Amino acid sequence: MKLLIVEDDRDYAAALREDLAALDHQVTVADNGRDALLALERDRYDAVILDRMLPQMDGAAVVRHARERGQTLPVLMLSALGRSIEKVDGLEAGADDYVVKPTPASEIEARLRALLRARGWQQQGGEGDTLRAGDIVVSPGQHRAWRNGRALDLAKLEFGLLTELARHAGSYLTRAMLVERVWGYDFEPSTNIVDVQVRSLRRKLCGPGEVDPIVTKRSVGYMLRA
Amino acid sequence: MSSLRALTLFFLAAFAAAAVLASYLTYAASRAAVVSAVDQRIGEVGDAMLSAVAPGDSRAILRRIDAFSRRRDTGDIGFELEDSRGRRIGGNVVLERAVPLGFTTLRRRDGIVGLSAGRAQVRDAGGGLRLITIAETEPIEGYSATRVRLYLIGFGTLLAVVLAGTASFGWIVRRRIGEVRATAAAIIDGDLSRRVPVPARGGAFADQAEAFNRALDRIAALVEQLRGVSSDVAHDLRTPLARLRARLARLAERPTVSGAELEPALAACDDVLALFAAILRIAEVTAGERRAGFRPVDLAALTEQACDTLTAVAAERGQRLTGAPFAPLTVRGDPQLLSQALLNLIENALHHTPAGTHVTVTLGRESETAVLRVCDNGPGIPPEARALALRRFGRLETSRHRPGHGLGLPLVEAVARLHGGTLTLADAAPGLEAVMTLRMEA
Repeated sequence: MKLLIVEDDRDYAAALREDLAALDHQVTVADNGRDALLALERDRYDAVILDRMLPQMDGAAVVRHARERGQTLPVLMLSALGRSIEKVDGLEAGADDYVVKPTPASEIEARLRALLRARGWQQQGGEGDTLRAGDIVVSPGQHRAWRNGRALDLAKLEFGLLTELARHAGSYLTRAMLVERVWGYDFEPSTNIVDVQVRSLRRKLCGPGEVDPIVTKRSVGYMLRA
Repeated sequence: MSSLRALTLFFLAAFAAAAVLASYLTYAASRAAVVSAVDQRIGEVGDAMLSAVAPGDSRAILRRIDAFSRRRDTGDIGFELEDSRGRRIGGNVVLERAVPLGFTTLRRRDGIVGLSAGRAQVRDAGGGLRLITIAETEPIEGYSATRVRLYLIGFGTLLAVVLAGTASFGWIVRRRIGEVRATAAAIIDGDLSRRVPVPARGGAFADQAEAFNRALDRIAALVEQLRGVSSDVAHDLRTPLARLRARLARLAERPTVSGAELEPALAACDDVLALFAAILRIAEVTAGERRAGFRPVDLAALTEQACDTLTAVAAERGQRLTGAPFAPLTVRGDPQLLSQALLNLIENALHHTPAGTHVTVTLGRESETAVLRVCDNGPGIPPEARALALRRFGRLETSRHRPGHGLGLPLVEAVARLHGGTLTLADAAPGLEAVMTLRMEA
C-alpha cells in the first residue's frame, strides 16, 4: 500500500515508517497538517495515518479539510491517550478508525486493510444480506449461519465473531479489532477472551472431516478463509 | 448545622427576654413618675386648701372646695370631707371606699364617676375632720391600657423584624455553607473542576469563596501535574515497549528463529503494556472527564455479556461461572467503564481461585442503588488483607506468583466511585464476595 504518515514526533514517525516498510509498504511522512494536505493534492495514496495532536492545525482539522476537498481515502487516526472524547471528535471530523499510540505496525496494517475492504463493498453497492466465506454463509439479518448447508447452532458472541470474520474474510483481524467490534469494548480484557471464543467457534464450525476455516497468525490475529 | 440553629434560637430567646424586660421597666418607670407627680400635686393642693383655715372649720373648708372646684387650675381635683366616723360631710366627689391616712391608689372599681385610675391623699383637717384630695393619673380614659397596647405593638414589631432578619441571615449562611458542601462533595467524587459560586456583589462570603476556590485551583494544578507525570511516564515507556514487542513479533515469524522461545518475551511485553494501559485508564477515570459522556446504560445487558464472555474462559480453567438471566436494571454511566469493571471483577475471582471453584454473579436493586455481587467458594481473603487488595499495586503475598498487575480491583473501585458507588470485599464463607454498588438513575 502507498501510505501517508502525518506525525510531528519525528522518532515515532521514523520508527513507524521503518516497521511499515518492513511489511512492504511505501511510506511518506509529513510532519504537519499543511504539508499533509499538499501531499494529498499532489499524489494518490491508499490510506492516511494521522496523528490527532499536531502543531498549528490538529488532526481533526486536517481530516475535515481533506474531506471537504473530496478526499475519500481511509484515514486512521492515532492518539497519545485513549480518551473517548477525542475518539468521538476524530470520527465526527471524518476519520474512519481510531487507535491509541503506540500501536504496532501489524495492528495498523490490519486496520487499514479492513478499511480498504469496507470501501470495496460500498463501491459494489452495499453489504447485502448474506456474507459468504468459502463454504460458510452468514445472514446477519436472520441471525443465522450455515456451513456446507448445515445450520450452525451459535451463541450470541460466537455469531458476532463469525460475522465479523466473514465480513473481512481473507484478511487478518487483530485481537484488539475483534474485542472492539464484536464486544464493543474500548479496553483490552486481562483474559484471552478472543482466543477462548475462537476455540469454541472452531469446535462448532468443524464437523467430522472438515477443514478448519479459521487461520491463526501468531501475535497478530485471526482470518476466515475466503 | 444544629449548633447554628441552637445559636440562632438562643439569640432570639435572649432578645425576646430583653425586649419584654425593657418594655416592662419603661412602663413601670413612667408609671412611677406619673404617680409621684400626681402625689406631689394633690399634696400641694391639699396644703393650699387647709392653709389659713382654722382646724375643724368644716364650713370654711366646704366653701374652699366650692371655690377650688371652679378654678381652672384645680377644677379637675376631687375633694371629699369626712367626719371623724368616716361619714361624708361634703365635697365634689363621692368616695365609696374608706381609705387610710396618706396616699392610696384608686381604680375604676372605686366607683368615682369619670375616674379610671387615680391617687387619693387623706389628711387630718383638725377637729376630727379628714380631707381627701383625689386626682387622676390618666390624662385620658383608658390611657394605661393604650400604653400597654402601644408597647406590645412597638416591641412586637421590633421582635418580628429581628426574627425575620435572623431567619434570612440563617438562610443566607446555610445556602453559602450548602454551596461549599456541594463543591466539596463533587471534589470527593473526583470532579476537581468544581468551584464555589462567588457572590457578584462581593463581601465576606465572596472573599471566603474566592479563597476557597484559589486553594482548589492550587490543588487541582498539583493533581493535574502529578497525573500528567504518571500519564507521561506510562505513555513514554509504552512507545519503546510497543516497538520492542513489534520487533519480537516480527522476529518470531522468521523461519530461522524458534517462535516458542520468544513467546515468554512477548508475553512479558504484553504484561507491562497491560499495566501501563491500566495506569492510564485509572488516571482517566479519576480525572472524572468521562462523566461528561454518561448516559442511561442497561446494566443487566452489560453483565450478561460479561458473563457470556467469561463463562467459556472459566470452563477452560476448570471453573464454573453462573450468572444470567438478570432482570433489566438501568443506571446512568459510561458503558465502557462499567463493562471493564464487570470483567475485572469476574476475572479477579477466576484469577485468584483454583480449578473447581464456582463463581456466581448476581445483580439486584437495593433501594436507590444497583448492587452487583461476585461470589466465589474459593479460599477467600483474610479480613485484614482485604484493604490491601483494594490498594493500587497492593497484591497479596499469595498472588505474587500469578499473572496480573494488581490494578484490577483499584480500577473497579475508581469506576464505582465515578458512578457514585463503592466496592467492598466481604466474607462469603468460605470464599470471597466482591460487592459493587452504583447509584441508580434519579
